[in-house]
Amino acid sequence: MPLETEARAQIRALVAEFRPEHGDLLAAMHSVQHHLGYLSSEAMEVIAEQLGLFPAEVYGAASFYEEFRFTPPAQTNIRWCSGPACRLKNGGGIRDAILATLGLHDIPGDTEDGRAGVILGQCNGACELAPMVWLEQPSTHRIEFVGNLNAARAVRMARALRDGATIEASIEETKRA
Amino acid sequence: MPDAIERYEALRTTADAEYAAWRNPLRPRIDVAIDQSSISNGALKTRAALERVAAERNAAVDFGRVHGYGMQWVHPSVQVTFPDGATVLYGPVREADAAAIVDEATGRWGAAATLRLGTITGKREGVPSIRQHPFFALEPERRLLRNLGLTDPESLNHYLARDGYRASARIFGRHVSEEVVRNTLNDAGLTGRGGANFPAGTKWGFLFGAPGEEHYLVCNADEGDPGAWVNRVVMEGDPHLLLEGMLIGAYGTKSKAGFIYLRDEYPLAIARMEAAIRDAEAAGILGDDIFGTGMPFHLRVIRGAGAYVCGDETGLLASISDERGMPRVKPPFPAARGALNKPSNVNNVETFANVPLIAAHGSEWYREMGTKAQSGTKIFSFSGDIVRTGFMEVPFGASLAKILEACGGIEGGRALHAIQPGGPLGSLVPASALPKLTLEPASFTPYDAMLGGGGIVFASDRNSVLVLAEMFAQFVEEESCGRCTTCHGGNQRKTEIIRRVMDGNGRRDDEPNLMMIDRTIQFSNCAHGQLSPKSMRNVLQHFHAEYEAAMRGEDATLSLKGATRFRVAQPRDARVEEAVAICPVGAFHGSPGARSIDEAECIHCQACTDVAPGAVVREAKPAAPRMVPIG
Repeated sequence: MPLETEARAQIRALVAEFRPEHGDLLAAMHSVQHHLGYLSSEAMEVIAEQLGLFPAEVYGAASFYEEFRFTPPAQTNIRWCSGPACRLKNGGGIRDAILATLGLHDIPGDTEDGRAGVILGQCNGACELAPMVWLEQPSTHRIEFVGNLNAARAVRMARALRDGATIEASIEETKRA
Repeated sequence: MPDAIERYEALRTTADAEYAAWRNPLRPRIDVAIDQSSISNGALKTRAALERVAAERNAAVDFGRVHGYGMQWVHPSVQVTFPDGATVLYGPVREADAAAIVDEATGRWGAAATLRLGTITGKREGVPSIRQHPFFALEPERRLLRNLGLTDPESLNHYLARDGYRASARIFGRHVSEEVVRNTLNDAGLTGRGGANFPAGTKWGFLFGAPGEEHYLVCNADEGDPGAWVNRVVMEGDPHLLLEGMLIGAYGTKSKAGFIYLRDEYPLAIARMEAAIRDAEAAGILGDDIFGTGMPFHLRVIRGAGAYVCGDETGLLASISDERGMPRVKPPFPAARGALNKPSNVNNVETFANVPLIAAHGSEWYREMGTKAQSGTKIFSFSGDIVRTGFMEVPFGASLAKILEACGGIEGGRALHAIQPGGPLGSLVPASALPKLTLEPASFTPYDAMLGGGGIVFASDRNSVLVLAEMFAQFVEEESCGRCTTCHGGNQRKTEIIRRVMDGNGRRDDEPNLMMIDRTIQFSNCAHGQLSPKSMRNVLQHFHAEYEAAMRGEDATLSLKGATRFRVAQPRDARVEEAVAICPVGAFHGSPGARSIDEAECIHCQACTDVAPGAVVREAKPAAPRMVPIG
């Protein structure tokens, strides 16, 4: 039996309502990530105990999905919409411009100081705003929608985030001509 | 034991009174449309501004909520319902327009005249019915969307008052047998709306006949096709319509429990479905004792986590069952082994949403719409390079050319280049096919194409069709579950080749290789692999000249890296320095007034042409010197 640390007890409380063989694994993983920002090895062990699975089964499932992450999230994530309406309006250029501005090579990726990250977004059908990104703050669950972007606006926004600006100030940057 | 219909009528008494008061309020009510698109457009800010203005003026006005009517390009939208029951739709309503709306609602008629779009119901002088708006020219009647704009989507009582759950009360009162329920669906011609088109009643029969008592009814709400938000509209706009469809499904399949597998990208749909389940349970419509009949049906929402392949039914069932969401080999079919290894049935959201309508009005009524081969109506979402992005409900067989007209045509005076139905596993159809295309599956077959789940993207000649082909190639590669080497390996190769062609490094043997990959991937286990080569195949079939041009390093649309370059055309233009400043990779060299762009460093992001159009230009690359064979 692993030592019952404070962190472990906290995770245990987050998944206490879930049961084995009840289709609860996704809900358990969502619950932990929602509150703690990511799935630590310890969290996956606790989830496995709770649901009667091996930790490898939990990791196997978690790693299958785009949403779950295994390291703490950046302060602010730019969720880049990969949908077709956005792509027709230079979504690809916007992605490349954001990555270059933050010094990243691929999605998902975080800056070294953990200020900003870029994650993959899927179309949710607000295509009248294409091309768009979402700005997300995992610690507060705040989400802001930034539509009608172009590459230049995206560069200004990403530079602001990189340099430590708030979400509001970063969005303001996209409104300059 | 009271009859189920008596229980229903008892619920109706309260519901009718509440709804009547909502439809004909004592004082005007402002309903802000709240749905995923509206929120993205700032509807919550608009609502806060309206409430602030109303409070400041102590205005005699109330506030409520509706779902958007379909015209997403004028979101955020707002409806005002007056005491006589007339409802006027306005949009786009920004924070700055709040005073005008409050004024117009509270007696200064005309204050928001420029924001009026039309009346949803009732009459107001000088305001046309919204039904006359060209966007709705192809909507003869709303069936699936009949409650939009006329109910609060979060109110069970509103759904009840609009005759919701009446059909299920009749069915659960055993006034209709399970077999008749299923046969009525088949008579109506209802087929799976997720794209597979299998007869719904027949599919239900498989689960009904399955052994054991534990049957699971599952709703596939993992609407993953980018460009499709048909299921989202049902779940955010009329959640009880889906619940009622599943309730009737529970009866028709002998299921006591069910799941709604809902993609995580739809947080509002998740919230509304979970609230609708709670409300229906509290009213005795779901739970242990449906309409007092002693029959149980328990529903749960399972939140997905971003895996497209969970839209495949066996992948979805694995995902519900605490496993990696990998599709598996069939048989066993879900009716033998499904969720938590018990017999199950999976239907799409829209398939379920049609069921209460057919149960209430009969199969003949249903067949009045649509074509002989495909009856009924379907919700479609339209996006891309069009003037009006939104959704509508049209009978199968509607002309796609007229749909494009309803959508205001292609924006910026450009020409239609390609039609993209059915998402990443769907197709790329050339503009020349437009006059012959109608919205029914068979119409797309001659183009080796499929209609799919309801998302249609119109692409203009601003982009090479390879831009979409590359996007989908990457998508199906990333979303491959990895079980079949044909699929995960084949799609990796395909993406590499398409990118090489786009970058101007195409090889002669790329086309035969793409065709070989296509033939190979088709031997994958599930639809994801089998259909993944379709869009690239369509490029070679329908856009071959464009592919050939890309091989030569030419591209009329100037959207491919390999065929274009960025150049400072007006070195003395002051905006060039803005372009220098915005470039994220520092590709500009030289001194002010004599700037040039290093092609090797440029990433083609277009930030420079965004800030200095005309001064910096994207242009065709000069033709490379041709290699002339010696001798």
